[in-house]
Amino acid sequence: MNSPVERKAEQIDWAGKNYLVVDDFIGVRQLLRESLRSLGARNIDQAASGGEAIALLAKTRYDVVLCDFNLGDGKNGQQVLEEARVRNFLLPSSVWMMVSAEKSVESVMGAAEHQPDAYLVKPITEGVLLTRLNRAWHRKQVFRPIDQAYAEKDYLRAARLCDEQIAASRVHEVELLRMKARLMEKSGEPEKAREAYERVLNQREYQWARSGLAKIRMVNGELEQARQMFLGVIAENRYYIDAYDQLAQVYQNMGKYEEACTILERATKLSPNSVPRQRNLGKVCLKLGNVAMAEKAFRKCISIGEYSVRKTPDAYLGLARVCGLKNDPKEALVLLAAAQREFGAEHPDMPLRAKITEGLVYHESGDYRHARKAGDELEAQLNARPERPDVPTCLEMATLLFAVGVKDAPVELLCYVARNNHDNVVLLDEVQAIFDKARMGEEGASLIRASKKEASDLMNQGVLLWKTGKLGEAVTWMRTARKELPNNQRILFNAAQVLISHMRDKGYDELMAAEAHEVLAHVDHLQPGQQRFAQLMEQLAALAPKVEEVNEVAAEEAPTPPSESEA
Amino acid sequence: MDDTQHSQQLALFLASTAHDMKNSISVLSGTLERLLDGASPQTETAYPQMAQMLYQTRRLNDNLMQLLALYKQVGQPEYPFDVQAIPMVELAEQVAALGRVLLQSRGIAFEVEVDTDLIWHLDEDLIVGVVSHAVNNAVNYTRDRIRLALRQEGEVLEIRVEDNGDGYPQALLDAGAEAMSGVASGVDFRTNSAGLGLYFAREVARMHRHRGQHGAVRLENGGRLGGGCFILTLP
Repeated sequence: MNSPVERKAEQIDWAGKNYLVVDDFIGVRQLLRESLRSLGARNIDQAASGGEAIALLAKTRYDVVLCDFNLGDGKNGQQVLEEARVRNFLLPSSVWMMVSAEKSVESVMGAAEHQPDAYLVKPITEGVLLTRLNRAWHRKQVFRPIDQAYAEKDYLRAARLCDEQIAASRVHEVELLRMKARLMEKSGEPEKAREAYERVLNQREYQWARSGLAKIRMVNGELEQARQMFLGVIAENRYYIDAYDQLAQVYQNMGKYEEACTILERATKLSPNSVPRQRNLGKVCLKLGNVAMAEKAFRKCISIGEYSVRKTPDAYLGLARVCGLKNDPKEALVLLAAAQREFGAEHPDMPLRAKITEGLVYHESGDYRHARKAGDELEAQLNARPERPDVPTCLEMATLLFAVGVKDAPVELLCYVARNNHDNVVLLDEVQAIFDKARMGEEGASLIRASKKEASDLMNQGVLLWKTGKLGEAVTWMRTARKELPNNQRILFNAAQVLISHMRDKGYDELMAAEAHEVLAHVDHLQPGQQRFAQLMEQLAALAPKVEEVNEVAAEEAPTPPSESEA
Repeated sequence: MDDTQHSQQLALFLASTAHDMKNSISVLSGTLERLLDGASPQTETAYPQMAQMLYQTRRLNDNLMQLLALYKQVGQPEYPFDVQAIPMVELAEQVAALGRVLLQSRGIAFEVEVDTDLIWHLDEDLIVGVVSHAVNNAVNYTRDRIRLALRQEGEVLEIRVEDNGDGYPQALLDAGAEAMSGVASGVDFRTNSAGLGLYFAREVARMHRHRGQHGAVRLENGGRLGGGCFILTLP
């Protein structure tokens, strides 16, 4: 009589699950425990702080976590969730319910990478808790195969699974379309992502879908249209914070740093506790020479990052630059030492990056003697280890080294960049510009030409072997090419392609599959969201013998030949 | 600059105070529900008083929630409106669960009528809050039955909370009409305790927009049970 809404079968056994309740208020913990007990739950652990929660999560795999967002001092609920996900403390089936006294902009509108499975607003009552738990659980069932494919980076398979589920479960249609759009973006298929967003918008004006369309425009270089659309989203809902971050990116792409700064400042007022947002604000301010605001943003970034697994050294390096600009190199050196202490373990590039910043700080404060000394030390570091950091760091380093008067190291760095990006015209122009600025225009041009030739020769020889059916030799050749040019995306893609062809022809091989996975993971790390990545991942997954759906997909598709270089 | 800093600090203070109060109220009403659930008028002499305490605690909680949401609209960080596709069966389920102990303790029968396949795009927390407040309110006016009905009427969702009491007094019907017409200041909060709830319901309804339409609330007498009707429509 009093529970008139009869639910169809599909009852979940909540009694046998493991629960963790995290709240800093003992009364609430007891209340939640009582609520869970009334669902039959027996195994309920409790934590009064984020730190306690992490300690328990490290020991036990919980099925359900009820975690308050505000946990007093220390980590907040979101940071606990992020750390638990990053450190793999959760099962794929774990349900994370974030509890808060009220909905906050951060909790709902943040484009947080790690979303909980549901938000609960206090006061929590048994009925609401049960409904939301059931829903989150069913949702997990629907999404589990998709999440699995996503985790394996087989985005095209995941997208197909989305389509299948859309037909089967109307309740989750909107969310499935959102997932599909994301997958298509990651697969370098913006047209299909656009279709998914349009389908959502036909039903209802969801800001994230409108924002998604705008993002596709931005990536496509249609900056003015993207700008208009993001402004439209913000006018519709001025708390949709993700649109601010994206709009700032549009302005940066337009070269309008003033506008980017203004919009980021507004976003940080609405939602101040985002590490990446404060970091971006700081960087844009540095570009604009707004030292005071840069300092504020970097300091905030460091303080909110204190308990977050997502903290990065960027804020320290940025703040060191600020100190340099304020003519306080001593303080800058203290910060750089702190950054190396804190991040040295996980960031192998840390000593390099700290040294670059040191050089910049001295150079900008006019201390050319110390700047040169930092440059020489940098050169020594480069000579001591063969690995090179990412492209922006390389360019930054080359610029600095030229500026302080070092010659050989920056030339070597720029050739390295050119060899590994021999078909990236925009980047090669940037490299040329750095040579020009160092008054090495002609020498630079011929160095770039030689680097390009070296890369395309390596690649074309591999393609030739592949075309003449010498698959074994092609594999070996591409291994050598990869050793020569470890970060050349075209070579990496071709290497993976050749490995896949070899397995198709001569049978599946676990070691080769692992090698292809490693190569593709690396190229995706260098530049995410490429079409060829998604296609090769799908082909590779289809080769694996384990599953019943053997190679129905792969068999249909004719093997794509590795692309030849136009250079 | 000083001014905004001050108001930001005030907002922070209010938010943390509210957080604290909400904790206390949820513990209070949770404990009362548990006590009532395990008792009956036969075994517990204070049963009616406890039921009354639960009713008042609920009102306190609803009012606090509404005040906070309204305050935040005028103040700095507004309520982050969060629309999702929600099965209406589950919405009804939550409203029923929220009212269960209170209705039981008052001997009120609760009927739900909902199309099992109906899915609507709405802010679940807000709508559950508004509808369950309407149910709590109906407890005051009904004789012994309350009916919750959710159905699609043309292009809109209609949620009705009806009772079998004598119907709403004229003053309340007027307040309802005023709340709808948007003359918010016309609601006299001193004489009309339902004013805040209606005003809040209207604000929530209006946040729900779709293709140029927005949601609305109205009060009527009559309906299936012949008493007061609270009607929320959402595009």
